[in-house]
Amino acid sequence: MAREVFERRLTVLLAVIAGLFLVLAVRLWQIQIVQGEYFLRLAEENRLRITSVAPPRGLIKDRRGRPLTLNRPAFTVSILPTELRHPEQVIPEVARKLGMPASEIVAKLDAAGDRPFEPVRLRRDVPKEAIAALEEDRMDLPGVLVQVEPVRDYLYGPLAAHLLGYLGEINDRDLSALRTQGYEAGELIGKDGIERIYDRYVKGRHGQIQAEVDAQGRPLRVIAKIPPTSGDTLNLGIDLDVQKAAEDALGSRVGAVVAMDPNDGTIVALASHPAFDPNLFATGITTTAWTRLLRDPLQPLLDRATQGGYPMGSVFKIVTATAALELGLVNTDTRFYCPGFYNLGGHIFHDHEAHGNINFLEGIAQSCNVVFWTLARPVGPDNLAKFARMYGLGQTTGVDLVQESGGVIPDPSWKARVWKESWYAGDTLNSAVGQGFTLATPIQVARLIAAVANGGRLVTPHLVTQITTPQGQVVRRVAPPATGEVRLRPQTLAVLRTGLAAVVTRGTAASIQIPGLAVAGKTGTAENPHGKPHAWFAGYAPTDSPRLVVVALVENVGFGAEFAAPIVQRVLQVAFDIRPAPHP
Amino acid sequence: MSALAGPPLPQPGGPARLFRNVDILLLLSTLGLIGFGLVMVYSSTHVSARPFLYLRSQALHLAVGLVVGGMILAVDYRAFASSARILYIVNALLLAAVLVPHIGRSSLGAQRWISIGPLGQFQPSEIAKFVIIITLAKHLTDRPGPYQSVWDLGPFLGHVAIPMLLIFRQPDLGTALVYGAIFIGMLYAGGARRRDLATLGAAGVVLVPILWRFLKEYQRRRLLAFVHPSLDPLGSGYGIIQSKIAVGSGLEWGKGLFAGTQGVLRFVPEHHTDFIFSVIGEELGFVGSVVLLGLFLLWVYRGLRIAAVARDRFGALAAVGIVSMVSFHVFVNVGMTVGIMPITGIPLPFISYGGSALMAMVWATALLLSIGMRHQRVGIGFDASPAPARLIRSMRGPERLEE
Repeated sequence: MAREVFERRLTVLLAVIAGLFLVLAVRLWQIQIVQGEYFLRLAEENRLRITSVAPPRGLIKDRRGRPLTLNRPAFTVSILPTELRHPEQVIPEVARKLGMPASEIVAKLDAAGDRPFEPVRLRRDVPKEAIAALEEDRMDLPGVLVQVEPVRDYLYGPLAAHLLGYLGEINDRDLSALRTQGYEAGELIGKDGIERIYDRYVKGRHGQIQAEVDAQGRPLRVIAKIPPTSGDTLNLGIDLDVQKAAEDALGSRVGAVVAMDPNDGTIVALASHPAFDPNLFATGITTTAWTRLLRDPLQPLLDRATQGGYPMGSVFKIVTATAALELGLVNTDTRFYCPGFYNLGGHIFHDHEAHGNINFLEGIAQSCNVVFWTLARPVGPDNLAKFARMYGLGQTTGVDLVQESGGVIPDPSWKARVWKESWYAGDTLNSAVGQGFTLATPIQVARLIAAVANGGRLVTPHLVTQITTPQGQVVRRVAPPATGEVRLRPQTLAVLRTGLAAVVTRGTAASIQIPGLAVAGKTGTAENPHGKPHAWFAGYAPTDSPRLVVVALVENVGFGAEFAAPIVQRVLQVAFDIRPAPHP
Repeated sequence: MSALAGPPLPQPGGPARLFRNVDILLLLSTLGLIGFGLVMVYSSTHVSARPFLYLRSQALHLAVGLVVGGMILAVDYRAFASSARILYIVNALLLAAVLVPHIGRSSLGAQRWISIGPLGQFQPSEIAKFVIIITLAKHLTDRPGPYQSVWDLGPFLGHVAIPMLLIFRQPDLGTALVYGAIFIGMLYAGGARRRDLATLGAAGVVLVPILWRFLKEYQRRRLLAFVHPSLDPLGSGYGIIQSKIAVGSGLEWGKGLFAGTQGVLRFVPEHHTDFIFSVIGEELGFVGSVVLLGLFLLWVYRGLRIAAVARDRFGALAAVGIVSMVSFHVFVNVGMTVGIMPITGIPLPFISYGGSALMAMVWATALLLSIGMRHQRVGIGFDASPAPARLIRSMRGPERLEE
């Protein structure tokens, strides 16, 4: 290429670049010199105010479309740091009107730090009287904003509190991770339960208002407005009536109830008592209320249905029976003799009564400990642990809740590791009847009994069945697949089902028969070091084509048949819409 | 004779005389810009609990940049030409690595960084621009033309398209566009026909609707906000409005150094990085802004002069590439803060806070100086002699190279 051409082209490039820079200079002259005064005024008066508009949170509905939560409008008082003048006067005045310490306001403003153009929320759900007082002194309170924001309203208070969860202000760590997903400082985010798991669906999208304001911060004119988008609706498998029945039946006792469809794992009721009122959290919980919840010895924040590990008592006999049947050690008619005790090398294990001469099926029905102690040693601790794990014990179920407990399935290597002790024959006997080290959550037990009811599938329990837009369009269907299968021979299943049915027809839970509904199940009375035994009942109905599994656990009360079985009976009556027989 | 050719320059002798050939005006304007940048980075970040945090980081990167820049200066620039192939491959691998989860770090929705332990994070796309200038210059030297049709430009288009697409995927629309500017500048200077370049430009415009589908939501919003600010005055439009207010309120002389941050600047997003010019506009006013533009224009003029006197086609085209890159950065960045260009996240060269970008600019300048001081008075008609094969040989000094 010719040198002259190259140099000519370089000159053209220089001219083009100089021209572009000239464009910039002209533009600078235009906005700095020609329009400079205008921009200076805008800068000094800081007349543009951007506020974000909180969206209504998506509703939560039960399986028949009845809302469990709504949103109600409430007043939120915030401070816009950039418009705050004379903070030494304004802050104490606002604090007095809101009834909160001034130091708390200062702390909130400090925490806002580097984003002074975003309003810092001081208090949500401020009563009308306080708002009226604030509006009166509007002129003396520059930088104080009153906005109407939707507040979560849990219609039934503490009902289903553990599964719904609660809200809390987003913390800095979450915020830095989630800011790009549309989360803002000071906003409420699900902290527990489905509010947390499905937060990104129910949160909705913020809207914004850009307004020109005067020197006192009063809006003169709205320049632009983007309306907020409501969050999506969570449709639950929960049946409000069944949930109510479960909580009523549990009453004031400490415990948990799980009702679940054994075929697909849809949870119909999930109760834990004591509970808390999520409404306390809906506007940001006060420190005193939070401390009281945390310090309560009964731990109301603990979801006993999914986070509480309990010894299973005789409910575990389902596992022992499965192992003995699969290993070919017994069949329905295998005969046992129960003198009311079992002698293990001179150490006497006492049964609750002497059942005399009974077969294996009756052993299940009467929950005879001697039968299962006799089987314990030939089955052995490793087989017990193996079959327990096959039923999904010792592992989380994958329910759509947070911090689910996995429970404990002991075996000799576990004991050596955790207790630094060797495994004794007595440990095997204890394990076989669900005493000792085994710990399971009510939801694990529900999945176990569901596997017996549905032919061996380990379903994944889930609360949400469908997520829809506020207009009802389906966003996502939630139908998690089964996580595994307990491979059982048909004979084994048949014996287990007949045995569990016999528990209710003539065995330990004969008192809970429901006319018109064939129920099968197993009682459990779990000894524990904390006082009276925990009462268990795990059952399903109807026996021929099971549609509902119900598990009840009551802490430290006594016999499963006496305290847990009636809860299951009550839940089943409501779920299958059967009126209780009138009292004689 | 062209305005850029200038009077004859003394012939270089030994290494000492070689350094005497450094383009003093380019060096001074560069140092001026860097000093300007350090002051403005401090001015826009000092109102915080740790006022020197950003300044120190910037100075640290500058020091590293200067050391490496000195090495670039000491080496004959043609050594880069001979290692172009390796540079190109390593560069592409680094850009690809950014996109790999666990290696690339994301921030603000884009994945642009690679963590390098205690040195913090490093943004390969900033260095990549510099590397592509070198490799494209070499490529243009190997295929010197004449370019008779648009198809003759195909290989060069492919050369730039690969890193461009990788950066576009991060996604970093602005940096991807810088490649466009580098490509046009270097091909134009390298002898491509105007009508062919125009054809490529038209093809690029046709591609816009297709590329639109690959843009992230926030990028679309930014572009729409530029075309029609009232469409999104709250999100992207907000930054533009606030930046204009900041710049405009500076009037003739500005509010004074360090005096702007209390006012409006906390409203301007990214005011120490992409929007640093709005700090300059507010604090130093029209006069300060135009002085800064003047410094850049001096830098550009000296850079193009080096292209004009370079001893070979590689050096000349690399110089044009570097000048194109810096000019495009300046125009788009300043244009963005005064509301005549869309928000694309391109930093202001030498000024914006950001270690990788500053280092890349220092190295680019070092390469320019190196090309300039190794020019020859005679034989400017593009030396066709091969570049030294290995780095070692080039270290022996320029005398051998002139044989």
